[in-house]
Amino acid sequence: MIRLTGIRHEFPDGPRVLEDISFAVDPGEKLVLLGANGTGKSTLLRVLSGLVTPTAGDYRYRGRPVTPAALKDREFGRRFRREVVLLFQHPDTMLFNPTVYEEIAFGPRQLRLPDIDERVGRWAGVFGLTDHLDRPPFSLSGGEKQKVCLAALLVLEPDLLLLDEPTAHLDPRSVGWLVDFLSELKVTLVVATHNLSLAPELGERALVLGEDHRLLYDGDLGSLLGDQERLVAANLVHIHRHRHGAIEHRHFHSHDWD
Amino acid sequence: MRPEQRALVERAALLGYLAAVVALTSVHDVRVMAAAQALTLAVAGGRALGLMRRLVVAVGPFCLVVSASYAVLTMPSGQFSGGYLVLVNLRVAALTSLTFLFMERVNLARALGFSRGLLYVVNLATSQALTLRRVVEDYRLALRARTLARLGLRDRYRHSAASAARLLAKAMHQSGEIALAMRARGFFDDSASR
Repeated sequence: MIRLTGIRHEFPDGPRVLEDISFAVDPGEKLVLLGANGTGKSTLLRVLSGLVTPTAGDYRYRGRPVTPAALKDREFGRRFRREVVLLFQHPDTMLFNPTVYEEIAFGPRQLRLPDIDERVGRWAGVFGLTDHLDRPPFSLSGGEKQKVCLAALLVLEPDLLLLDEPTAHLDPRSVGWLVDFLSELKVTLVVATHNLSLAPELGERALVLGEDHRLLYDGDLGSLLGDQERLVAANLVHIHRHRHGAIEHRHFHSHDWD
Repeated sequence: MRPEQRALVERAALLGYLAAVVALTSVHDVRVMAAAQALTLAVAGGRALGLMRRLVVAVGPFCLVVSASYAVLTMPSGQFSGGYLVLVNLRVAALTSLTFLFMERVNLARALGFSRGLLYVVNLATSQALTLRRVVEDYRLALRARTLARLGLRDRYRHSAASAARLLAKAMHQSGEIALAMRARGFFDDSASR
């Protein structure tokens, strides 16, 4: 479905954020993109969604190069934007319509789909937003805003869903709901997170970005979680003192479920 | 150049910039204003075209709206003055170009090194500006990610209005938080206000 070869990216007058990234994703796969803060996870998702053009390397979606010129092609650009969607880390970034209804209807309205009311009603029902359809999105809680964003993306019935730290602003109950929801979703999924304990709930394959911005690991998530040396190298686990009553000890562990 | 000499030069440049700003806001002659704008472009040299491009992006829409509003409001009563309109737009252009040039060539933190208080203000303003720039970029990319067809005027307006409102709210919230944090660290003399 997607294939990246030798992707490198650096911002103008800024540091290098991706270095020699190569991997492929098949339809239906569920990937977890892991990495410490600042390793380039968000940038990689933006490359995958065609929002950031890498400085070097080749990115193909269904065999076709994803370049600014290709995205300007009306047919390809529209198909790509419909099939590949990105949930930004901060839901506020994505919401600008006056009501939840119009927010969800924004995509279908651009495509002039005939059944907008039915689609909006269906996805509002899935996310428990039916009672909020007339409310402005900014008046909702963080979890509800996240649901509006997801509904606004999924109403397009995309093939590839990219999620940038989707649990970062959710309370524990909403995290549980999201994990259940994503596990049942029939799309190709790439989820960026630094929450190691959440990773097995989100996918089977792991991509790990190292602090040198290179791909440190691409493979089975279970094997990664058993490889302490690699987890330490990726700065995904850390060591500090624990106290249990009078007993004090140190060992590696991750902090989780934000 | 030694660091102390460099700081002196930059302080002199700051004084020159401030004097030029006062002069440009005091002069009401179109020819002087046009000459000032031409001078900033000449000083920019090979980067003049880039400077013009940034100028158009930064103040073009603002000038257009203000000019159109002025024309609409004054034309029916016969008070419209083309010379005044040109003068105001030239003044905005000259001040903006001058500021771009100054910021490009002078390290403001070094120029204000003589005052700890002003340095605090510059650092706070810069960090706020960088944060808000990242937010604006996120808004822009999020809209692009959700754009499947050419957007109409209504959607563009809604996006701009929502982005501006959130930026203002974020800036207000952040400045409140920063003020609280500074107070917590003893920056303000609370006893003076009791």
